Amino acid sequence: MNEEVTTFGPARGNVMERKPLIANSRSAKWITAHTVGLIEGKPLRIWWILLTISSALALFLPLELTYLVSTGVGIWGSNNTVAWAWDITNFVWWVGIAHAGTAISAIFFLTRQKWTNAINRIAEAMTIFAIGCAGVFPAFHVGRVWMVWFLNPAPYYNDIWQNFKSPLFWDVFAVTAYLTVSALFWYYGMIPDLASVRDKVSGKVRKIAYGIAALGWRGSGRHWFYYEKGYVLLAGICSALVFSVCGIVSMDFATSVIPGWHTTIFPMYFGVGAVYGGFAMLFILIIPTRHFFKLHDLITEKHIDNMCKVTIIMSLCIGYIYLMEYFTAYYSGNPYEWWLVFFNRSTPSGAPYWWCFWIMVSFNAIVPQILWFKAVRRNTLFLFFLMFIPSIGMWYERFVIIVTGIQRDYLPSSWHYFVPTINDVLLYIGTIGFFFTAFLLFLRFLPIFNMVEVKNTLPEANPHHDANHEAKGGSHE
Amino acid sequence: MKRPINSYEAANGKPKVYWRGVEEYSKTAEFQQWLDREFPQGASEFWGDGVSRRSFVRLMGASMALAGLGMASCRRPEAHLVPFTKTSELQTTGLTLNFATSMPRRRGGVPLLVTSYQGRPIKIEGNPLHPLSKGKSDTFAQASLLNLYDPDRSWRFLHANSEISADQFFKDLDTLTAGWAANGGKGLAFLGGEVNSPTLNRLRAELLKKFPQATWTTYEPGLYNNEWQAAKNVFGQEVKISPRYDKAEVILSLDCDFLGSDDGTLASIRDFTEGRKVENPNGRMNRLYVVESRYSNTGGMADHRLRLPASKISLLASALLAELKPGSLAPELPGVDAKWITEAARDLAKAGKNALVVVGAGQPAEVHQAALMLNSALGAIGNTVELLPVEDKLPKLAIQELAKSIGLGLVTDLVILGGNPVYNAPADLDFASVLGKVKNIIRLGSHEDETTAVSGWHAPLAEYLEAWGDTILQDGSYGCVQPLILPLHNGLSEIQLVAKILGQPLIAGPELVQETFKQRGGTDATWPQFVHDGFVPLTATVPPITIGASPASMGVSLASLKAANSELGPNNLELVFVPDSKVDDGRFSNNGWLQELPDFMTKLTWDNAALISPLTAKSLGLDCKLHDGTYYGDVIKITVDGRSVEAPVLIALGQADYTITLPLGYGRKISGKVGKDVGFSAYEIRSSLAPYVLTGAQVVKTGKTFPFSITQEHWSMEGRDLVREAPLAYYKEHPDFTREVGEEAEAPPLENFYKSPGFDFKKDYQWGMVIDLSSCVGCNACVISCQAENNIPIVGKEQVRNGREMHWMRVDRYYSGSQTQNERGIEAIPNDPEVVMQPVTCMQCDNAPCETVCPVNATVHSEEGLNLMVYNRCIGTRYCANNCPYKTRRFNFFDYNQRQLDKLYLGPLGPKGTAETIKLSKNPDVTVRMRGVMEKCTFCIQRIEKAKITWKIDTKREGGKMPGDAIQTACQQSCPADAIVFGDISDPNSRVSKLKKRELNYQLLAALNTQPRLSYLSRLRNPNPLMPGAERVGMGLINAKSHGEGAKHE
Repeated sequence: MNEEVTTFGPARGNVMERKPLIANSRSAKWITAHTVGLIEGKPLRIWWILLTISSALALFLPLELTYLVSTGVGIWGSNNTVAWAWDITNFVWWVGIAHAGTAISAIFFLTRQKWTNAINRIAEAMTIFAIGCAGVFPAFHVGRVWMVWFLNPAPYYNDIWQNFKSPLFWDVFAVTAYLTVSALFWYYGMIPDLASVRDKVSGKVRKIAYGIAALGWRGSGRHWFYYEKGYVLLAGICSALVFSVCGIVSMDFATSVIPGWHTTIFPMYFGVGAVYGGFAMLFILIIPTRHFFKLHDLITEKHIDNMCKVTIIMSLCIGYIYLMEYFTAYYSGNPYEWWLVFFNRSTPSGAPYWWCFWIMVSFNAIVPQILWFKAVRRNTLFLFFLMFIPSIGMWYERFVIIVTGIQRDYLPSSWHYFVPTINDVLLYIGTIGFFFTAFLLFLRFLPIFNMVEVKNTLPEANPHHDANHEAKGGSHE
Repeated sequence: MKRPINSYEAANGKPKVYWRGVEEYSKTAEFQQWLDREFPQGASEFWGDGVSRRSFVRLMGASMALAGLGMASCRRPEAHLVPFTKTSELQTTGLTLNFATSMPRRRGGVPLLVTSYQGRPIKIEGNPLHPLSKGKSDTFAQASLLNLYDPDRSWRFLHANSEISADQFFKDLDTLTAGWAANGGKGLAFLGGEVNSPTLNRLRAELLKKFPQATWTTYEPGLYNNEWQAAKNVFGQEVKISPRYDKAEVILSLDCDFLGSDDGTLASIRDFTEGRKVENPNGRMNRLYVVESRYSNTGGMADHRLRLPASKISLLASALLAELKPGSLAPELPGVDAKWITEAARDLAKAGKNALVVVGAGQPAEVHQAALMLNSALGAIGNTVELLPVEDKLPKLAIQELAKSIGLGLVTDLVILGGNPVYNAPADLDFASVLGKVKNIIRLGSHEDETTAVSGWHAPLAEYLEAWGDTILQDGSYGCVQPLILPLHNGLSEIQLVAKILGQPLIAGPELVQETFKQRGGTDATWPQFVHDGFVPLTATVPPITIGASPASMGVSLASLKAANSELGPNNLELVFVPDSKVDDGRFSNNGWLQELPDFMTKLTWDNAALISPLTAKSLGLDCKLHDGTYYGDVIKITVDGRSVEAPVLIALGQADYTITLPLGYGRKISGKVGKDVGFSAYEIRSSLAPYVLTGAQVVKTGKTFPFSITQEHWSMEGRDLVREAPLAYYKEHPDFTREVGEEAEAPPLENFYKSPGFDFKKDYQWGMVIDLSSCVGCNACVISCQAENNIPIVGKEQVRNGREMHWMRVDRYYSGSQTQNERGIEAIPNDPEVVMQPVTCMQCDNAPCETVCPVNATVHSEEGLNLMVYNRCIGTRYCANNCPYKTRRFNFFDYNQRQLDKLYLGPLGPKGTAETIKLSKNPDVTVRMRGVMEKCTFCIQRIEKAKITWKIDTKREGGKMPGDAIQTACQQSCPADAIVFGDISDPNSRVSKLKKRELNYQLLAALNTQPRLSYLSRLRNPNPLMPGAERVGMGLINAKSHGEGAKHE
């Protein structure tokens, strides 16, 4: 596309050439064929290997949950002082990962960030599976999981309402609403693609299965009309939920009286952290997917580059928040807050979890600054390994927030160190296994691109050019 | 398990009927008759009639419940609660009865009042009628309930370690007895503990008549003869010395832990703390000087404390004597400020007859003599030192003498009454092999233990709650030991066995005691009164005896004591053997409540440790490291006189240098489930020559480490205002110091957009509590009392290490140094720290952080200001525990009431169920919690509700509140220091309301605006301004606050 820039109308100066969002001038047909081909074709060997590993790990989930429910929460390392530890850390971590998916597909959709069209289906899948993993923890961390239906706001069960003041109860609403809406959003957006798959796949069973899933989509004008409206509405709701859910999850801590938990910065902190951690996870999912499924034309270097840029911004925000915690502690004059932030978190001589704190700071705020270098952003293999660092860092962030706050709060007599047990670890691994298993199955059985949206970014999708020959939200970023 | 009770009100001459269970009961004619005639309607035609099996079971269910069988299941009772058609006397279903009894102890019994529910004792309190107790009790008395219900108790008769019938045992006994009678008891010996029972003494006298050649030996590992020896030397007659702390204004304790593990603490804590209660800034307070080698509770209460090895106490005693009695020899005391001794002596002299010098029981007789002379010189004898007559004047041997006779082959038959000599006899006697030389050993024991293993015959011992007995109480009065229940395991009491040996039939009733009672001037008419009150007051006292003689003529040559002269160092360490604060001399080692009780000072549970000072540790290269929340102590091998023992080291602040404290009572080889694999046995190196203090010990590091289960990781208050304290003089100048040092003084005023609709605090009862930190000595009585009252489970060693102990009430211990904190808020470890104790339980916050966060409304606020816990609503999110700033909530991480503590991790694969006897011990008014629910203190709501119902019935009208002080919580009821006051704060005349108005009153973490109902009174100390270091005593927090000021406003 190296045609000369001709000016029509008022001159606007030279505009730098933008890279197209779909490389190699792939056609709409190619996009459909390639996406459906992933379902139709023979599964890759690497897919089988990864599925075997991840489903083996996923086995820990039912095993650990059985042990947990039959024996008691005591199989974990938590104690009377640190009553929440890995359970809620993992919950917040997974919820955070979920948020990035919604942020990409809903918020970036609403803000017309067309480049995300190629990755939003994958991101949404990540959201759904991550919420599933997240939900395991609050549901099963309770002492009597068979009584968890008490959280159901149906007062006629035993004439008692739930406590509407409790952030944990808000969590119930927030997480269930989030799961419902994002699942709906995901499925809703998939309907036209499922119809395409239905039309292309061979085999009776598949045809019927995809046919049912496509809900009779025929691609009529009316269908498209309602579909577009509904999609925007759901995107709007989802965008609001991103903020409300991470805000509410953060209020589990922010509304408490515990130093290190009781902080007004938390809703924002959790939101930023969520998007940040989620993007890191997205890298981990997308880079191999792109590589093994040869998706370089649809997920271009530009996409990776943009994701890196978002990651840097989030990393800077996180760093800013870490600094703000110091400032707030200093400025508040609250001696407990002061002691916690200036001494109990970071000082190697006195803070039991000082190493967790420094892992958190370096992994989240310092290491990702390497992304300022273009060479790094271009090296996808390096990026794949690099992005484990913020993922781990974000886990430590939640751990530092939760455990350092409560393990040493007001009365030194009750201070108690927390040591995880093997069961803490295996349950966490179980959810990771489940997550990757679900994702691998998704890659195999569902259209991993939002074909409609991706085709929207083709030049031919939008013939209206402006004075600079730039598509108005068409082929270019 | 109902039975007619031989009560005061219903005393009559009717023969008593006892039964233990349905098997026994159903054999009686009444039972058959009751089956036939007293069945519910339509049931009497059951026999031979076509009643279906189902309806039979239903009827039987109801009827068996009627017979008191349903009690075995305290949880989820099968709802067949049918009232008795004919109730046993006094019994009203659902109500409890109280019976007076006494718990025999080695230094005299403790008067008690035991609560019985449906025939089973469920709670032990002090006897309010007795001046010694006034309703208060201690940890051992509280926990002895669990000894009764111990599932590992001896439950069978044994011969050569195989089970025999009781009949066979008695047949064998008769054969042996006949032999003894034939040869006048030649070769017969008795070995017993000190139970202070006049009946046993009476039977002993008879025994000596019947078997003139028999000998009687008394052995108590926790008793020393020195005190009595000294009294005999000084006064020329056998008297018992009883210090009167209530009269003492200045007290000097020479290694005497009268507020801690020395027996007889009940009265001394009460009397001593009486003198610590200050009503206003001009109030008076007693003063306590303590010289000791380890940090004891007494040391914690001291206004001036001096660390001194136990073997050097004699030097200090003679130095004091020199101060008070000019002309005496004043020895050199290296490392001790001479001013300390001079000023302490002056202070004592100033107090004159109101001064008191007490000496630790284990100290040599010379030190006791010196103390008696000091007391005499001060004029204290007859005032603060009371003399009591000695009851037991029959000849008795020491265990060394017994061992010697056995060694000479003079003993062929040995009757061991209670105790566990194979475990706790002095190591130099090698008692286990000594016993091998005895032909016949008949042993009466509470457990099948080390001694059982070497005994020919073993019979189960009845607990004091199971059999009649009597005892001389600690103040010398005559106490009744009234049983509350028939022996659960066919046990015999000591007096029953001795009477049997005397040829009397086996007597289950009180006849033996009645006879003694009559000999002591009682009559049939006064017997019911005796049983009802539980005691007869002491009438005869010993008049004060003055000692005129000079020290030299009394033969006091303290300075020449050999041990005192040897210089202690890394190669010459001192060992001090003390009965453990929890399991005593080992008799409570199978008691889970006591095993899991945190030690007063070290907060160590489930084990004992060799306590050493930081300096000793450093010079020996030893460490006790905190790693992953657990203290790992280096295991050392202590060698002395050729004997050695391996023990883990715990670094204890305030310990004298180069002295090792070794708590006794652990390291049992054969024990029940609870006492198995806990601690090490210090008896292995304890010799009969030096049972208390021993020098010349060597220590070698083994390279192993041992993880301790300590409930408190951190010792410093971090400069926080948690325990507020000041010296009395400071309080006089700054009556408002409590508020001034508080965080809330710096907090901005509370502002709220939301206008509260207001709450009428006058409408209902408003419960509140005040804990006086000046009085609390940290004795732990409240902890065990709470555990017994509220069915709190134990969790085992491993779970304590995991930080999951369940105690609703805990006693926080902080050391406060004389050093001021540095800018980071961390204090360097002080060498000579002061210690403060703070009992903490649920604060019942009016603005409770836990309540707002519970998603299912399982913890809610009552109209009466209680923070309620609804167990069956709780799903166990544990959010409340996280948000509790006081960390008083306890979570059931496992099914502690259903699973064996060593198999918790097996979950459903492990064995299920609790021992039946443990179920019997539960309080029926309190839910037994299952796993997965949160629990915590509710100010004994069951007691509150019970009192409210009773009040409503008694007053027979609605409205009108009961007096504010009408209810006692369990912790309050047991607190010997009377430090806990509970009541209705809406009643301005209640004690708690008045205390809350004091300027010393403060709320813990008040700045958080949790508005707790439990508040504290600041701790006051009473240092002598002339003493060295007096300016720092009790000033820790005040100094920290004034130093911290600059940093805060930078």
